[in-house]
Amino acid sequence: MKWRRIWALVKKDLIEFTKSKYVLSAIIGIPLIFAVLIPLSGLLPITSINPADFEGDDTFPDFINNLFASTVDDWESLNMHAQTLIMISYLMFVMVLMLPIIIPAITASETIVGEKERKTMEAILASPITETEIVFAKITSSLIPSIFATFVAAGGYMIITDILIFPFIGQVLFPDFLSIIFILVFGPMISIVSVELMIMISTKVKSVRDSYQIGSLVVLPLIFLIVAGMISFFFNSIATLIGGIAGMVIIIVILFKLATNIFNREKAIIKMT
Amino acid sequence: MLAVETRNLTKDYDIKKDGKRAHLRAVDGLDLAIEKSEIYCLLGPNGSGKTTTTRLLAGILRPSVGGARILGLDVVEDASQVRSIVGLLTETPALYERLTVRQNLTFIANLYDVPKEEIKTRIEELINLFDLPEKIDLPAGSLSKGMRQKVAIARSMIHDPPVIFLDEPTASLAPESAKVVRDQILKLSKLEKRTFFLCTHNLFEAERLSTRVGIINHGKLISEGTPTQLRDLKKDETTTVFRFAVWDDVIKNFFQERNYDVLDINPERKSISIFIREIEKETPTIIDELIKQNFPMFEVRHEYPTLERVYLELVMSENLPRNQEEEES
Repeated sequence: MKWRRIWALVKKDLIEFTKSKYVLSAIIGIPLIFAVLIPLSGLLPITSINPADFEGDDTFPDFINNLFASTVDDWESLNMHAQTLIMISYLMFVMVLMLPIIIPAITASETIVGEKERKTMEAILASPITETEIVFAKITSSLIPSIFATFVAAGGYMIITDILIFPFIGQVLFPDFLSIIFILVFGPMISIVSVELMIMISTKVKSVRDSYQIGSLVVLPLIFLIVAGMISFFFNSIATLIGGIAGMVIIIVILFKLATNIFNREKAIIKMT
Repeated sequence: MLAVETRNLTKDYDIKKDGKRAHLRAVDGLDLAIEKSEIYCLLGPNGSGKTTTTRLLAGILRPSVGGARILGLDVVEDASQVRSIVGLLTETPALYERLTVRQNLTFIANLYDVPKEEIKTRIEELINLFDLPEKIDLPAGSLSKGMRQKVAIARSMIHDPPVIFLDEPTASLAPESAKVVRDQILKLSKLEKRTFFLCTHNLFEAERLSTRVGIINHGKLISEGTPTQLRDLKKDETTTVFRFAVWDDVIKNFFQERNYDVLDINPERKSISIFIREIEKETPTIIDELIKQNFPMFEVRHEYPTLERVYLELVMSENLPRNQEEEES
């Protein structure tokens, strides 16, 4: 692989993203919603309730208590109100991790199907760049905005959540080990899987609209995968974490091979005409 | 070594027709041999296989049957090398509209591995060549259609390719810009020995530029030769026009009495067009007689069949049904 050609294609795509109002508003607007609106709308109503109203004989089921006891310091000593705030904070954090799936659906569709629609792809296909280089470059250029948006959204979410719940729980909840692993390791990996799937879809369809529609069908199973992964990590953190990362790496490699096999110069040019 | 060589070059596409799978033969057994520094012009109606031929020769599509070589490199085995030595102006010269002209050209230069230190100079050369220096930092989307075409041509030459394929290079260009492009093609061919392969509908351009012309229809090469050789195919259809200072029906009678094939009489222009079987032999005789009879003749000219006429007749006579489509069993 020639890195110069790959970087040229990545750079070109990134410049195009920054000049596309649609893509730019998605990359900036969606993270803002996740960083600000979600914690405010989810936590503010609970913080406004008097903690005394939560007191009673009721407790969370044992599996939830066990789950959080292994993750949050002094979980048992916290009152029901604080425990509820922590639980909701984690559940909403899972939603932030949807960003690595949503953003690639926009950028990957734009970068491959968009090029086919606008017929700019032919100049790339006529050059000496290989199919593998094109796929690698397209994955990278779709990935960068996604990782950037996830970092911004997660950072914003963590800061706002901590500010809102600190007075009630008496400790800084985020970032903890699990959230750092999710944002720095698992998030980018999910992003790569999402980009690879979107690129496979994009090579098969003719219009950006089709790409969005089919892409959204692929996104749903990925969300389930994240939720399942998050919950399983709570139960059995380190061992499952390493296993999860290894599994994701294998999925990424397989999908890359599939994407490069599917992306075919000849088919790409014929689909454009 | 030939610049472009094809042997039985054939391309089939899988298509869906009436809900059934079928294949369409877009290029059918093409044999070409184009020397270095030639300007070869492929003429043909829409859908005749010109663009597919260009894409096959540029190493983007793979032939179904037969093969092609560009400067000795096989378009299948050495596809990547072929792509690096050819320039291609596509049928739709789509530019990245949000990128500036400079960014468009730099991007393509990097894809072709143009040495980094040469990119700036190369861009400036091409921008000056096509008279675009004031547009270099403007988004390509803000340019007129003609200017975009010029940028697209510059893009196809950014890596200094020895063989250049241009699909409709002067379409959408203003006459003065089209002339600049034509002059550059001639210059690059003559002085720098570059080979050009043009696809066009513009018969004037083909006649003016090309060293040889190929006429393609239904994917088959139906005729090939220099523009003169092609015009000579209809040499026997040359007409001769006589013009007079004053018109008189006596002139008409003169030609009719001598049993010439009168094709057109135009009293307004004071002219008569006739068909002469043996031009070289008979024309001086007719002129002598007209002078002897004191007809006020002031112009005699032969109207040779144009390339357009030859092209149209060849293509129109090829109105065979498209028998290349065969349904798969």
